[in-house]
Amino acid sequence: MSTEKKLANKKRRNQNIAFGLFTGISYSVVGLLFVILAFIVVKGIGVISWEFISAMPKEGMTAGGIFPAIVGTLCLVLVSMVFAFPVGVFAAIYMNEYVKDGWVKKIIKQMTNNLAGVPSIVFGLFGMSLFVNKLGFGDSILAGGLTLGLLVLPVVIRTTEESLKAVENTFRQASLGLGASKWQTTRNVVFPIAFPNIITGLILSIGRVSGETAPILFTVAAYFLPKLPTSIFDQAMALPYHLYVISTSGTNIEASRAMAYGTALVLIVIVLISNLLANKLRKHFGKKVKMN
Amino acid sequence: MHKIVSQNVNFYYGEFQALHDISLSVKENTVTALIGPSGCGKSTYLRLLNRMNDLIDNTHMSGTITIDGNDIYDKHTNVDDLRKNVGMVFQKPNPFPKTIFENVAYGLRVNGITDKKIIEERVITSIEQVALWEEVKDKLHKSAFELSGGQQQRLCIARALAIQPSVLLMDEPTSALDPISTSKVEELIYELKKQYTIVIVTHNMQQAGRISDNTAFFYMGELIEYDKTKTIFTKPTKKQTEDYITGRFG
Amino acid sequence: MASHLELEIDKLKSVIIKIGELAEGQVNEAVKALLYEPFSEVKEVKKTENKIDKLDVKIDDICQGIFALQQPVASDLRFIISSMQIGNEIERIGDLAMSIIKQSKSIKEKHELVSQFNIAEIAKDVELITSKMNQCFLALDEALIDDIFTLNTEVKQRSTEAIENIIVEMKNNSKKVLSGTHLVIALKHLERIADHNSNVAESVYFMINAKTIKHEKFSDKK
Repeated sequence: MSTEKKLANKKRRNQNIAFGLFTGISYSVVGLLFVILAFIVVKGIGVISWEFISAMPKEGMTAGGIFPAIVGTLCLVLVSMVFAFPVGVFAAIYMNEYVKDGWVKKIIKQMTNNLAGVPSIVFGLFGMSLFVNKLGFGDSILAGGLTLGLLVLPVVIRTTEESLKAVENTFRQASLGLGASKWQTTRNVVFPIAFPNIITGLILSIGRVSGETAPILFTVAAYFLPKLPTSIFDQAMALPYHLYVISTSGTNIEASRAMAYGTALVLIVIVLISNLLANKLRKHFGKKVKMN
Repeated sequence: MHKIVSQNVNFYYGEFQALHDISLSVKENTVTALIGPSGCGKSTYLRLLNRMNDLIDNTHMSGTITIDGNDIYDKHTNVDDLRKNVGMVFQKPNPFPKTIFENVAYGLRVNGITDKKIIEERVITSIEQVALWEEVKDKLHKSAFELSGGQQQRLCIARALAIQPSVLLMDEPTSALDPISTSKVEELIYELKKQYTIVIVTHNMQQAGRISDNTAFFYMGELIEYDKTKTIFTKPTKKQTEDYITGRFG
Repeated sequence: MASHLELEIDKLKSVIIKIGELAEGQVNEAVKALLYEPFSEVKEVKKTENKIDKLDVKIDDICQGIFALQQPVASDLRFIISSMQIGNEIERIGDLAMSIIKQSKSIKEKHELVSQFNIAEIAKDVELITSKMNQCFLALDEALIDDIFTLNTEVKQRSTEAIENIIVEMKNNSKKVLSGTHLVIALKHLERIADHNSNVAESVYFMINAKTIKHEKFSDKK
């Protein structure tokens, strides 16, 4: 066999090995995800019923439903988004559209990145000392929501910034070239083009918020509160914390095992729905600003 | 009477000098093509004419550029007013995510014109000017992204015309278009020069030949040769120009 | 909206029509000078000749511009190539007309010779062929091309005949040698004018049909 042919064969073999390796890894990641999902679905599906979703927990959380936890989580998500979305988006707009390249921008960026790396329990502690104690909100949806908002703020800023950066500069130039101000340009041209991606980032951060336990531990979460919150100053139950409680320190861990899987399933479904929604919205808005 | 006069213009991106001592005058109602290899400074020069380079951090220029006798880099010059007078069309069609009508009306609205009648009138005139009216009159309130690339580019030209500039800058306006759309835009440029002074950057030498009255050849940030297009294309005086236009570069 | 190239081509066309008309005028003057005397409008004719030369240069210039700037193809390309050739041919027609006028001055007893050898008929044919050439370019009419070729053949035959007769006459009467020679030259010039006209017709044919018929025998030219 000629050396050329040998070389070609070797090249092909290496390529096949590499390709096989990558394929294997990708499939096993997907497979793992399915195993986890299947495990939870199988274990949890049994307890899912209308009552489970819509009723109060009973008998030391070994029976009844998780309705207040669902409501609590939704409230927390809402508050955190109301806080994080405008703050994050405006911060990102400021950073991407207004600040000139230089050390100021670098520092802000670095800080945002650092913030994203802070462990969530630290946010919990911070939220407790600032919102709960200092500002006197007490253990409340407001305090918890704001803490969660702080937690996802860097994510919102980052995704918004990336979306803004993805808008081609010629759009800005075209608008400015027509005599528009920077703010008019940002509001009328840049933001609408970036919007589909911004909204996606936002909804993905909802998934993150609804799954966090540590930040709400000291700021809002009630161990057991079989009633719905009436204002944002009330304490509330939340799905992840509820899950934690009934699987580690419930009155009867063995008895509530099935309920724990059911709760996990509900949580996962909520996250899944918000991801699907994100996709849908991006496609919907994306169509409006589709580039050719 | 020269519409645009630049004298001894130097331009720097940070330490890098992108333009060396460019002096170039453009007559009113003519098409001037800027040609040259990539990175020769032609686009940079074009963007000096509506101060688009101001948007890039860490740049500076020296020398003077006047339009209608006014120094556009004077500290009393209002950049927004300058840009209203100097329209720009870009390489890729970039309509805003708005309706066809609103795209053209945009420049009017951001400049504070609210009279519906005036807006409508100007929008229609501008669309007619770019010979797009027949194609879009039934879908003025549909998204501009529904148009073909060539139509989008003409819409972008209409958008620039709506605020009634006197100078039109074009940065490779047909490089993303198919041949038919290209020739439509070229014919349009030929028509528009009756009312506007046009400066166009193009990579396509044949295009420069077809549409321009004067051609400036840039190389490595210098203006090598500037003359009537016909002269540049039939008897260039500099060897670099000859080599470039005959494709024997390097 | 007429395209830029179309405008240039229209300009070219009008220049060729102009130069064609001027050349036709020159041929008419030449025929006048040959057939009747005295001829007094030399100054006028020279002026026209200058104009023709300038237009010829202008045609080249326009064509050069179109080639360099517009990249003509297909029928446009043929039109411009043909235009350059037609410009040259017509300029030659003008030159030959001038020469005939010069020759005519040296012909003594012109009337006598002219009527003796049927020069008038040949000259009229050359006038006709020139005017047909102009019409042919203007209308791009293939029928006229045939006419021109036929006329050219006729002119050739008649002129050959006339020249033979003149030579016979010169042999018999040595006093007529000088005038006869000039007349022969003038006749040859007329023939050449007819030839150039027929070349224009060939170019028009090429313009219309994208087919070269140069160098083919007259009988095959169709």
